[in-house]
Amino acid sequence: MDHLPRWILPAAISVTVPLPCYAVQYLTVPAAQKLCFPDCDHFTAAHVKFTPAQIRAIEAASGQKELLRGQEVWRATQNGKLQGFFIVDYVIGKHLVIDYAVALSPEGKVKQIEILNYRESYGGEIRNPDWRKQFVGKGPRSQFALNEGINNISGATLSCRHVTDGVRRLLATYGVCLK
Amino acid sequence: MGSVSNRVRRARPSLGTFVEITARGDDEAKLHGAVDRAFDAIARVDRLMSFHHPASDISRINREAFQRKVTVDLWTWRVLRAAQKLSHESDGLFDITVARKLMQWNYLPRRYWNVSEGNWRDIVLEKNCTVRFRQRVIVDLGGIAKGFAVDRAVEALKRAGVSSGVVNAGGDLRVFGLKSELVHLRHPAEPMRPAGAIKLRERALATSGIYFAQKRRGRAVVSSLLDGRTCRSSRKVISVSVAASACMIADALTKIVFVLLEKSVPLLAPYHADALLLERDGAPSWMFRSSCDTTGRTGFD
Repeated sequence: MDHLPRWILPAAISVTVPLPCYAVQYLTVPAAQKLCFPDCDHFTAAHVKFTPAQIRAIEAASGQKELLRGQEVWRATQNGKLQGFFIVDYVIGKHLVIDYAVALSPEGKVKQIEILNYRESYGGEIRNPDWRKQFVGKGPRSQFALNEGINNISGATLSCRHVTDGVRRLLATYGVCLK
Repeated sequence: MGSVSNRVRRARPSLGTFVEITARGDDEAKLHGAVDRAFDAIARVDRLMSFHHPASDISRINREAFQRKVTVDLWTWRVLRAAQKLSHESDGLFDITVARKLMQWNYLPRRYWNVSEGNWRDIVLEKNCTVRFRQRVIVDLGGIAKGFAVDRAVEALKRAGVSSGVVNAGGDLRVFGLKSELVHLRHPAEPMRPAGAIKLRERALATSGIYFAQKRRGRAVVSSLLDGRTCRSSRKVISVSVAASACMIADALTKIVFVLLEKSVPLLAPYHADALLLERDGAPSWMFRSSCDTTGRTGFD
């Protein structure tokens, strides 16, 4: 009966169990660069520092508030020829910061978006005596849940709106600073 | 021992949410290639079935299928056919034409005017992937397409030789391969806190809740989870999780269980689906395991 889901108890004995916040590092910057531009041999940091006029132009073009004073940008090249731009950006998700990377073609078209780091704050504890009442002795051993930590979460959909807004702002940044 | 030790885990924004793919196998470069293919499949579903993209199949049929037959992609057609089957089985409770109401309540952008009252019976699926509407209805696959996308991504990973993994599209997920996975459920009243955990193997799990979906409309609270027959939103519960072998089925069944609650057993059983309902305080209020007992309540009570 292995295909059955097993509803198991998160906290068998103690009613309050601390849990870490949900944080995943998906990719490092170099790993994401390699995935976005597999043929490129050089990634040259070309970080941009915004002037006040550029900030105004980016905000006007994207309708987004520019909260950063600059942007981490790399020029991706193959044998010295520009293949595109790799940009790292930060947005606030539901509560915490999400780091993501956008790969742009030399013409400023989005090639790829990868989430680098994702964080969600969790209340930090499962406190629910009712789960205990219902599940004690019925599921597999509860240590399971505690040791493995949170890897997968099922629940109502979280919007990725902040990231898509962020990408729009980066396209404006491209128009103002990189083109 | 073989070295099935590598694990690749990546996430991208798609389908209006974050899609996370975990793949295990021995060659890391091959795993990344497989994950790329899986994200391509997800992006294809998004492109075909989004209510928002003007060029999607769904936008095309919403604009034109009342006037003329519209040919859609085989994938779109498969989802429409599954939706029709579920509408039939649930006697219209599951109904993709509730898009009209969702648009009125601003869950969907107001893109169409002169939409007439109608229901799933006004959608005609014909040979060669053609679609026609008998009334000027509009459809939205928001309640089913995400699950379908997860299934297509799993298919792409398997085809690329990935031995086990997870595809999670904002909480609708599928676990495949020999390794089991622990999945935490969001707490209905406090989404940032897990209510409990479920162990899954070769199984999909979808959860619908009213956590983020509720809106105030005048003095009433409405949510995007509607009973297709009455166009009323369900608000008594809370959170519904359904496990099934295909994520598309799990995704769609959550909407049915949300309205029918315990009465949904006859609909769950043919799909060998399991359901778990959580109450406002996070306690499991009812649970059904079709594979154990198809006669009714099997909860731990």
